[in-house]
Amino acid sequence: MALLQIAEPGQSAKPHQRKLAVGIDLGTTHSLVASVRSGQAETLPNSLGDHLLPSVVRYLADDAPQVGTKAQAHLVDDAANTVMSVKRLMGRGIEDVKRFGENMPYLFEACDQGMPFISTVSGLKSPVQVSADILRALVQRAQSSLGGELVGAVITVPAYFDDAQRQATKDAAQLAGIQVLRLLNEPTAAAVAYGLEHNQQDQGTVAVFDLGGGTFDISILRMEQGVFEVLATGGDSALGGDDFDQVLAEWMRQERQISSQLDLAQQRFLLRLARTAKELLSEVETAQLCFEGWPGEQVYAELVLTREQMNALLNPIVDKAIRATKRALRDAKVALGDVSRVVMVGGSTRSLLVQERVSDLFGQPLLNDIDPDRVVALGAARQADVLAGNQSGDELLLLDVLPLSLGLETMGGLVERVIDRNTPIPVARAQEFTTYQDGQTAMAIHVLQGERELVQDCRSLSRFELRGIPAMAAGAAKIRVTFQVDADGLLEVSARELTSGVAASVQVKPSFGLSDVQIADMIKASWSNVEDDRSARSLREQQVEADRLVEAVAIALAEDGERLLTSKEQQTIEEQMAQLVLVRNGQDHHAIAKQIEIMAKASDTYAAMRMDDSIKRALAGKAVDQL
Amino acid sequence: MNITQDYFSCYGLPCSFIVDVVALRKLHHSLQHQHHPDRFVSAPDSKQRRAVQITTYLNQAYATLSEPLQRGIYLLQLEGMDPLAPTNTQMPMDFLLQQIELRESLDDIHLAQDPESKIDSMSALLTHQASQLESEFAQAYQASDLSVAETAVRKLQFIVKLQQQLDALEGVLLD
Repeated sequence: MALLQIAEPGQSAKPHQRKLAVGIDLGTTHSLVASVRSGQAETLPNSLGDHLLPSVVRYLADDAPQVGTKAQAHLVDDAANTVMSVKRLMGRGIEDVKRFGENMPYLFEACDQGMPFISTVSGLKSPVQVSADILRALVQRAQSSLGGELVGAVITVPAYFDDAQRQATKDAAQLAGIQVLRLLNEPTAAAVAYGLEHNQQDQGTVAVFDLGGGTFDISILRMEQGVFEVLATGGDSALGGDDFDQVLAEWMRQERQISSQLDLAQQRFLLRLARTAKELLSEVETAQLCFEGWPGEQVYAELVLTREQMNALLNPIVDKAIRATKRALRDAKVALGDVSRVVMVGGSTRSLLVQERVSDLFGQPLLNDIDPDRVVALGAARQADVLAGNQSGDELLLLDVLPLSLGLETMGGLVERVIDRNTPIPVARAQEFTTYQDGQTAMAIHVLQGERELVQDCRSLSRFELRGIPAMAAGAAKIRVTFQVDADGLLEVSARELTSGVAASVQVKPSFGLSDVQIADMIKASWSNVEDDRSARSLREQQVEADRLVEAVAIALAEDGERLLTSKEQQTIEEQMAQLVLVRNGQDHHAIAKQIEIMAKASDTYAAMRMDDSIKRALAGKAVDQL
Repeated sequence: MNITQDYFSCYGLPCSFIVDVVALRKLHHSLQHQHHPDRFVSAPDSKQRRAVQITTYLNQAYATLSEPLQRGIYLLQLEGMDPLAPTNTQMPMDFLLQQIELRESLDDIHLAQDPESKIDSMSALLTHQASQLESEFAQAYQASDLSVAETAVRKLQFIVKLQQQLDALEGVLLD
């Protein structure tokens, strides 16, 4: 029974009258939960006082799974049943997982929905289930420390997450019984954490520079009148602090003339040494690296690394992030000087070099006084508090954009863009297509996400079929495909044949996947491969054209070739046709275009003959006055 | 919010090519504040769907009115014209020749010694041409001379396409 709650006039709502809502940062290595209490966002610790929950789940034969530090302790002795870094598997297909899962000690099993299962002693677990177990642990922690049921949660995702990865994250929350108030992009959450909207002089354009262990995200936001508007997002999903460690480890290997054939333990030793040196050089100018215990090395073999040397080694990696930042600014149509605030997020922004370079680029001090590991969860908590209705509501509104373009497969494996990336969401767009063959009664719809021009280079989100199109001549049917993206960035696609009203629709669910490397390509390579894409597109177009011509001529020849043509004429056409098939299978689109022209010329007379013939036959046996 | 009304009416603006873009953005934000799905997370499904519909409509309206080219096309569409019809391909010869020239110099930029300054000067040229066409459109539309307005907007489309290609080229060259 609901109790009547009484508050003094003018008194703010008491803690127990507030709706309990949390922000969750579901991270690759660790996760956090945060909530707003007495007007302050704070991350919630477990009973031991730990705020960070390692994103590790261990499955047991006949007990509930262990999550966090307990599970982490078994990463080595029970590797097959202890799952870490599951975020990298979300929304991915078995093919991708096979590619980058080599370093993962799990047994994967394909399943028909696309995402692979991990085989454990407690049965098959999908990445969605593993994530749900982490979420459950966070919710339990929140409920015991807040003392009540949650109305919902805001869960953060990387800005570059595609539709399948977002959908998988939402599915995990559902599985854990959490009401998702909103999926929020991590950089946006970080900007919200700083509460910039409260301060009049902070109005303007904000850049959020998010460098994690393995990924880099850059977002450009505009803030005015309590509206946070994402103007552009970009980044590189294969760039992060781990690359720093790799480069430094490689330098040490070369300096000490160590063989490149290292076992796993030796690699780990070098990487750990590299990380230590990197952290040390944030405080001192020179680090002495001790190779004690290294096989073949003297106990006191030492290597000196100065900060200057380190910076020279790391600069090329930071350059990449700087380039991506400039690109995002161009996408946002914002000049460097117009940026009024720069927010730093992610553990790797602790690097002095990164701080210096970014501060130099923007010509201003950086905002980095909130712990970069917690800032995302804190922002999510603030947004959850707003969405749950605990604030007046006029304070903060987040307007986000679509991170990667959406499109459809058209003839010849090309992608037709339907919605461009960086379009504000929610958004709906429709595109009309037609049938390719006479009497075609079904049409396959293949939905793709990415920046490249060819289907094979983009991510396949979903395939479905529109059936029951009435038989019509090729090109007569009008099929309108509509994309609707909601405020979480999730896509729904529907298709309708306009003359008959036949309709089909699908909620896009994860189907196939891409590896991290491919995702990085989708953003990066769309720039560097503009030329390649263009000639690849021309090639496909010419191939489609060649196929059309060959098919049409072949059908005609079978119908009346022998009747209308001399054997020599027929032979010439067939030879040109064989030649066209030959060049069509090659890579040179100019050659195909040329042969199409020759072929078209060769068959011109024949086409005219056929036309005459059909007119003659239509007229045969009819007197002139009958016409 | 009536999502069948024209885009100008939903912001309470008169049907005109002259739009104060900053004021429009403020209006847009205040309507988003009222109707965004974030305001309805605990409301029934039907209200949430309605919020998605309305903000989808608002985003489309804002995208249309905030860009001069889209705004011009939209104004003509409200007059029952279809400036982008595929059958509509007649363009004055001198304009086409000028376009070919511009396109050729765009294609040659990557060969130039100092591509960045070439990009800058071409960008300035295009911006100048675009603003000329915009005032041409504004005058013609004001005077209800719709066929002149239509020609201006179709020319503007060529210029905007060139600007986009120049931007893309800049991205590739500066990376």
